[in-house]
Amino acid sequence: MGVSQELLDILACPKCKGDIHLNESKNGLICDNCKLLYEIKDDIPIMLIDEAKPIEE
Amino acid sequence: MKALVTGAAGFIGSHLCEYLIEKGCEVVGIDSFTDYYPRSIKESNIAGLKDCGGFEFVEASLIEASLAKLLEGVEAVFHQSAQAGVRASWGESFKIYTDNNILATQMLLEACKDRPIKKFVYASSSSVYGDTTDLPMRETSLPAPVSPYGVSKLAAEHLCRLYFKNFSVPTVSLRYFTVYGARQRPDMAFHRFFRWALEGKPIEVYGDGKQSRDFTHVSDIVEANWLAFEKASSGEVFNIGGGSRITLNEVIEIIKEMTGVNFEVRYKDVQKGDVRHTSADMTKAKEVLGYDPKISVEEGLRREYEWIKDFMRR
Repeated sequence: MGVSQELLDILACPKCKGDIHLNESKNGLICDNCKLLYEIKDDIPIMLIDEAKPIEE
Repeated sequence: MKALVTGAAGFIGSHLCEYLIEKGCEVVGIDSFTDYYPRSIKESNIAGLKDCGGFEFVEASLIEASLAKLLEGVEAVFHQSAQAGVRASWGESFKIYTDNNILATQMLLEACKDRPIKKFVYASSSSVYGDTTDLPMRETSLPAPVSPYGVSKLAAEHLCRLYFKNFSVPTVSLRYFTVYGARQRPDMAFHRFFRWALEGKPIEVYGDGKQSRDFTHVSDIVEANWLAFEKASSGEVFNIGGGSRITLNEVIEIIKEMTGVNFEVRYKDVQKGDVRHTSADMTKAKEVLGYDPKISVEEGLRREYEWIKDFMRR
């Protein structure tokens, strides 16, 4: 099903509460502020700080 | 109508989401997949929902999530998520209960202030009553939980009332009495009894089996949530039971007959936190909500048995 725009619109970074956006491969959500990637697995966005992956510069 | 369901991948939450979708609601489900029981079971609970139009799901913790955004456009909150388990709530693990049952509820209530929410339905528990001999349990009785779990559920119930009195968050608490049915958690009695029977193992019972419960089928619980959304006055508490109270030994006899397995029953020590009897006085739920449980224990057990046979084949 993929992650819908409606869902993306109501998600925020759990750490800074700031905006997030889909990454290019559409398998994760990026918080530019915290430099964290929240993975999307089986169409479920995993918005947990402990599970987030740091983004390498 | 747009609804937020917490604990959406859980036993009750997943049934509630399906019910709301059938009613034509948009549903946002949230679940943090705590490790109380395997993630794969919770994933299978929502497998059918994921392809439903109108259902969105996010894995998140109420303590961390940006709830303000998740609540955008939401008119009904069905707060089903909790750290379950009466017996596991002692000792060091109590912090998990204070976090997931009390703090998480407070944060959700806080986020609901000044929002156009029509009803916030909180899943409370008969465990708030404790081990009383004054049966049936009435909403007006003094709650005296005998487990840390019950304390955490009661604390959250009080928070719901407080947020109504002080901030007009339209909360309603439903005290569920021992819920069972398809997707019942693997640590719960009926699930274990059926599984052990089908595996040819003896059935282990805490206590002498003469303890009784007001068992409530999950479909009646789901219906009660909808009735609470539609009809309940805010700030109120309602008992939601199944309408008949039977002993575990009676349940075991039904399971023997249903499965055709003449299993051995082993009685073990009573666990701390367990109560002897529960029985819901449902006068208030009937009068105010029009709640009328429809599923008998025999019928509900048959439905759970059909589900568990399928579950064990997976």
